[in-house]
Amino acid sequence: MAERDLADRLDETIDAIVARADATAALRDRDLAPLARVAADLRHYPRPDFKARLRAQLERRTNMTPASTMTTGSGATIREGFTTVTPYIRVAEAGLADFLAQVFDAQETFSGRGGGGGMHREVRVADSMIMIGEGETAGGGGVMPIRPMAFHVFVKDVDATFRRALAAGARSLGEPADRPYGERAGFVADPFGNHWYIATPLGPESLASALRTVTPHLHVRGASDYDEFLQRALGAVEEMRRDEGGQLRYARLRIGDSAIELGEGEPMPGSYLLYVADPDAMYRQALAAGATSIMPLTDEPYGRIGGIADVAGNQWFFSRPVRR
Amino acid sequence: MSQITEDDRLLIEAAKADPARFVDVYERYFDRVYAFVSRRAENRAVAEDITSQVFERALAAIGQFEWRGLPVVAWLFRIASNTLADHWRERAREAHEAPPDVPDASELENIERRIALYQHVERLPDLQRQVIWMRFVEEKSIREVAAALDRSEGAVKQLQLRALENLRKSMGGHG
Repeated sequence: MAERDLADRLDETIDAIVARADATAALRDRDLAPLARVAADLRHYPRPDFKARLRAQLERRTNMTPASTMTTGSGATIREGFTTVTPYIRVAEAGLADFLAQVFDAQETFSGRGGGGGMHREVRVADSMIMIGEGETAGGGGVMPIRPMAFHVFVKDVDATFRRALAAGARSLGEPADRPYGERAGFVADPFGNHWYIATPLGPESLASALRTVTPHLHVRGASDYDEFLQRALGAVEEMRRDEGGQLRYARLRIGDSAIELGEGEPMPGSYLLYVADPDAMYRQALAAGATSIMPLTDEPYGRIGGIADVAGNQWFFSRPVRR
Repeated sequence: MSQITEDDRLLIEAAKADPARFVDVYERYFDRVYAFVSRRAENRAVAEDITSQVFERALAAIGQFEWRGLPVVAWLFRIASNTLADHWRERAREAHEAPPDVPDASELENIERRIALYQHVERLPDLQRQVIWMRFVEEKSIREVAAALDRSEGAVKQLQLRALENLRKSMGGHG
């Protein structure tokens, strides 16, 4: 009889534990307490099928993602100072590098005449690199169209940076204000039309700790589907996601050691260079995911490179630099 | 926290050279990461989602892994802690809760105890294991379990009691 009673009391306790209700009374019951403690730990018992599914998911990822996007440590696959993803901004004429220097204290680390006759520049903003192609024929032998891109930039003082941007010829898209996502942010369009979402973290809700100084922000239509495409095509890993009204409002994706942001919005397609160990494998993977070839893989003096365009109009160039 | 072992070193170096070998890291540390995450997640779905993100992030970062005198599991706990912090930041819009921290010595002991417990579940007699599975993982009521096993509710409660008693005994001093 006593055992039946214990079985009933244990069952009620398990009901409470599973329902996250208060089960502390069981801990005062001398017979029940040791069993209740075991039951409390069992609430976290993992589903064996979950472990198997996650393993399969990781195996798919490692099969689909060439070692390329991960082997950055030795410097063998990525130029020193760069990360996996580098945005490549195309502009018709000179001036963007100066704008970035005035506003974000960007340092030009390289400039030279490209094969197509246009000027190629590389600038560093704190820990982030940006490539700039100037002139009608610059950028991947002229395959990159001139079009504005969008970026999330962290600075120490958004108000001062915002004022500098306007003084340098930018147009305000939104005055600095405290935003609900933990940042004080102001938005500008530079004289070439690129959007800069300038932000200073206000507290722990800010995404700053997970991002570098400059992070590309991709606006696309059908962002949720595009998110899945990037995972298939580039082995991107979704690190964070927020949906509103059935649409993907914001996602942070990691590609190799770089992050990009993605959200539903008026499309602003751009061009990106990815340093990878095996550009051929990445190129094939992207085509298999539905991308279109815009530059078959070729060996250039600076390294092997090929490119694709995706459904949203973004261009991704896969390159393995020549070892220097 | 335990020291770096030669096994750890070989596992990581193999995964850095060939990411396909990351599954070996996963197999070795899944239980600890899940045990760490599940205590801080509000439900099983969130625990599974966050555990997935932890291993995805670890896979993406394996190329940059550097030995800094800490064992691999400390690196994974740090990723888990950051992933949970992201999750809490999202939730902070609805409720203010403190972000989690990495486990201290006492929690590490609890994690090891839970992992041992889960291994003992695998060794329970079939019927007892099924009852534990249905009650705690599928969260079925005693009536639903009784129907699924074609037993009376009283018999299932007795199976449940026997299973918990066996687990407590198996855990010995840890129980």
